[in-house]
Amino acid sequence: MFTQDSIDHIGEQLNHHLGQISAILFFLMGAMTIVELVDAYQGFKIITDRINTRNPKKLLWIICTVTFFLSAILDNLTTSIVMISLIRKLVPNKDMRLFFAGMIVIAANAGGAWSPIGDVTTTMLWIGGQISSGNIMLTLFLPSVICMVIPLIYLQFTLKGELGSYDTEPKINQGNGDHGAYSNQPVKGSTTMLILGVGGLVSVPVFKTITHLPPYLGMLLALGVLWVVSELINPDMDESEKRPYTAAGALTRIDVPSVLFFLGILLAVSALESMEILHHFSIWLDESIGDQRIIITLIGILSSIVDNVPLVAASMGMYDMSVYYQDHLVWEYLAYCAGTGGSILIIGSAAGVAVMGMEKIDFIWYVKRISLLAILGYFAGGIVYLIIQPYLAVH
Amino acid sequence: METLVIIVFVIGYIAIALEHPIKINKTASALLAGVICWTLFVLSEPSAAVTDSASYGSFLEILKVELGDKFNALSSGELYREFVTTELSHHLSSIAQILFFLMGAMTIVELVDAHHGFRFITDRIKTKNPKTLLWIICWVSFFLSAVLDNLTTTIVMLSLVRKLIPDKEMRLFFAGMIVIAANAGGAWTPIGDVTTTMLWIGGQISTGNIMVTLFLPSVACMLIPLIYLNFTLKGTLGDTTENDNKSHDNVVRSGNLMLILGVGALVFVPIFKTLTHMPPYTGILLGLGFLWVVSELINPELDEAVKKNYTVAGALARIDVPSVLFFLGILLAVGALESMQVLHHLASWLDHAIGDQRIIVTLIGLLSAIVDNVPLVAASMGMYNMDVYYQDHMVWEYLAYCAGTGGSILIIGSAAGVAAMGIEKIDFIWYLKKISLLALLGYSAGAIIYLIIQPYLAVHPPVH
Repeated sequence: MFTQDSIDHIGEQLNHHLGQISAILFFLMGAMTIVELVDAYQGFKIITDRINTRNPKKLLWIICTVTFFLSAILDNLTTSIVMISLIRKLVPNKDMRLFFAGMIVIAANAGGAWSPIGDVTTTMLWIGGQISSGNIMLTLFLPSVICMVIPLIYLQFTLKGELGSYDTEPKINQGNGDHGAYSNQPVKGSTTMLILGVGGLVSVPVFKTITHLPPYLGMLLALGVLWVVSELINPDMDESEKRPYTAAGALTRIDVPSVLFFLGILLAVSALESMEILHHFSIWLDESIGDQRIIITLIGILSSIVDNVPLVAASMGMYDMSVYYQDHLVWEYLAYCAGTGGSILIIGSAAGVAVMGMEKIDFIWYVKRISLLAILGYFAGGIVYLIIQPYLAVH
Repeated sequence: METLVIIVFVIGYIAIALEHPIKINKTASALLAGVICWTLFVLSEPSAAVTDSASYGSFLEILKVELGDKFNALSSGELYREFVTTELSHHLSSIAQILFFLMGAMTIVELVDAHHGFRFITDRIKTKNPKTLLWIICWVSFFLSAVLDNLTTTIVMLSLVRKLIPDKEMRLFFAGMIVIAANAGGAWTPIGDVTTTMLWIGGQISTGNIMVTLFLPSVACMLIPLIYLNFTLKGTLGDTTENDNKSHDNVVRSGNLMLILGVGALVFVPIFKTLTHMPPYTGILLGLGFLWVVSELINPELDEAVKKNYTVAGALARIDVPSVLFFLGILLAVGALESMQVLHHLASWLDHAIGDQRIIVTLIGLLSAIVDNVPLVAASMGMYNMDVYYQDHMVWEYLAYCAGTGGSILIIGSAAGVAAMGIEKIDFIWYLKKISLLALLGYSAGAIIYLIIQPYLAVHPPVH
């Protein structure tokens, strides 16, 4: 049934996919650890102390705007992780916090779509030469803003409830016994750790630009530096006291099951990709529909079910660069759709999966409360893009 | 630039060895060393050592086919950078295989442990005599490792001694001997150890012959340290803390089932590999997924919070993730040295400077205590031509022995050692002081025995 050749070929494909998947996973582990470490030093308190509003709607606008622009610089995943840890402090009310988490996913995906380093699919198109950085920022900025603002305006009128308050004891990480034990005692170095942590995350794209090495290496470098600092910053503490404040301690608190979940689901998708099922599907789409704008809109919606990276990779193979030149409508619209369409389902984007892991958002809850908003935003942004595109088009 | 990378590697290595005096966790040093090595590599000017190598040549061939006309537009600097990232992703995928395998195996063992599964075995070993126990444990490790891979063997045996030997100091000696026994046991069978497997798959050695010639040397490699400890080992196994046995007795009754499933999942990995030709980590993830489902369903009467401790999610929270990242860092660093052809040059330099293969192969074994033995054996396989060094030639057999057992000399020299370091928190320096010399004695004894018996068992060159 199998020849040696086909076994070799499958093994090679699997190796190739594993390399890509583990690049994402180690990146994720590094980012989660850095955020967890800054959190242990109460670094985010410096930011949260500055946000004084107790008005949920106002806070939602602030959080979404910050997420949007942060995600344009950092990747969506890191942005969501940072912002989720922020709202954990600011919004004690669990129900209210889920809405914030949902909006963070939408804002992070929208913010990532319009900058070449903000989102892995936009980056793929950028590196492949399908889009240029100036042009993509110009054409997709407005659609991306719309994609976030429409759900936000809707919630402005419908959001009800309070932010809630923590009781006397602000125990932040429910279910993490060792976390509460030290969260009340101030530890020195929180400003240093915040600066180093955020600096470490921001340095990742810089590192990538200088060295052309994959982002996970930059993340591991940042983690290594923070690890050393975390070991040396409190020389007066003894070993066991110090442990929760070191990266080794932070690593025990990160969500390893989510990492393995990611591994499993990405391996499954890559099997579909290697069996050419995705490729055949896009060819079938092309034959039965024809109009690229509709196809790409559908690809965006599809990206809420399957990973957007193989979808974009398949699309890049589907359309020839000699016909569809740089900054052609197909590529720009693809960057928008694949970047923001994932918000429609919680499992549709890396940001969503991370939020699901951190905030225990239920799949069904998201479908009921957020999906419709995300679809509205997605289409609004898409329409805006198709309207403004002729005026900004490159010939 | 090679020199600079080697210096970074050595400094990183020293920082890892001196983890405690300098108070910096070894994982941090390893990660920094790994990333800095690659950064220097990619930022360096294209060096002749790399661009003249065979792997660079085949990389260009493949890229030429892939890119077509665009290939000629690339400058040599861009090609070089592309080569470095390709090499890196190649290394990452082989490293990730080891790491996910390790994570899977650690989680399964942790899960069986949470269900008190190992009590089924530990209850049956009645001896309280440390020396008798050491002999039993070593022989079991030796033969288990001949069938399973060294890593799995070590993990299973370590979780056993954890239950049998409450005394921490005594347990460290057992852990050290398990590493030696697992490595020795793996060397003489084609499926016992990854380097022997490589030589077997490559056709350098044949199944029957390697087992006949290497069995005695491998036994000697383990026996010498064992006999030494038989006379010098002092102390008791320590007392089992009674409350440990009682506290969870009533909570879960699934110990035996979990033990069978857990060990079954580990043993299943090589079977899965043989049937499907899929890499071992997929087999262990399959086993882990299966155990995960069972662990969620097995105690329906427990509520969420209590059950969490007995599920894989709970077990994952207890595994040693820093060790996984340590492995990642150090393997990345070694990968950089390999891709820069430093290892390869070292091997060919050895060949020129020394000449006698027996000495070179012995040195390769010693070297495998510092760097990963897989790239070493891979480099050696490229160094010696199969036309001259025919199947079952002394060079290959001796290489299988040396690369398989030499890694025991330092705790970081073998996958088994690294796993032991992760699970038992064995200190690099402690191992160096208490075990390294024993391992070196065993290594040399086995080597001498091999070189003595080899002429009587030698295969003669095929007649043309």
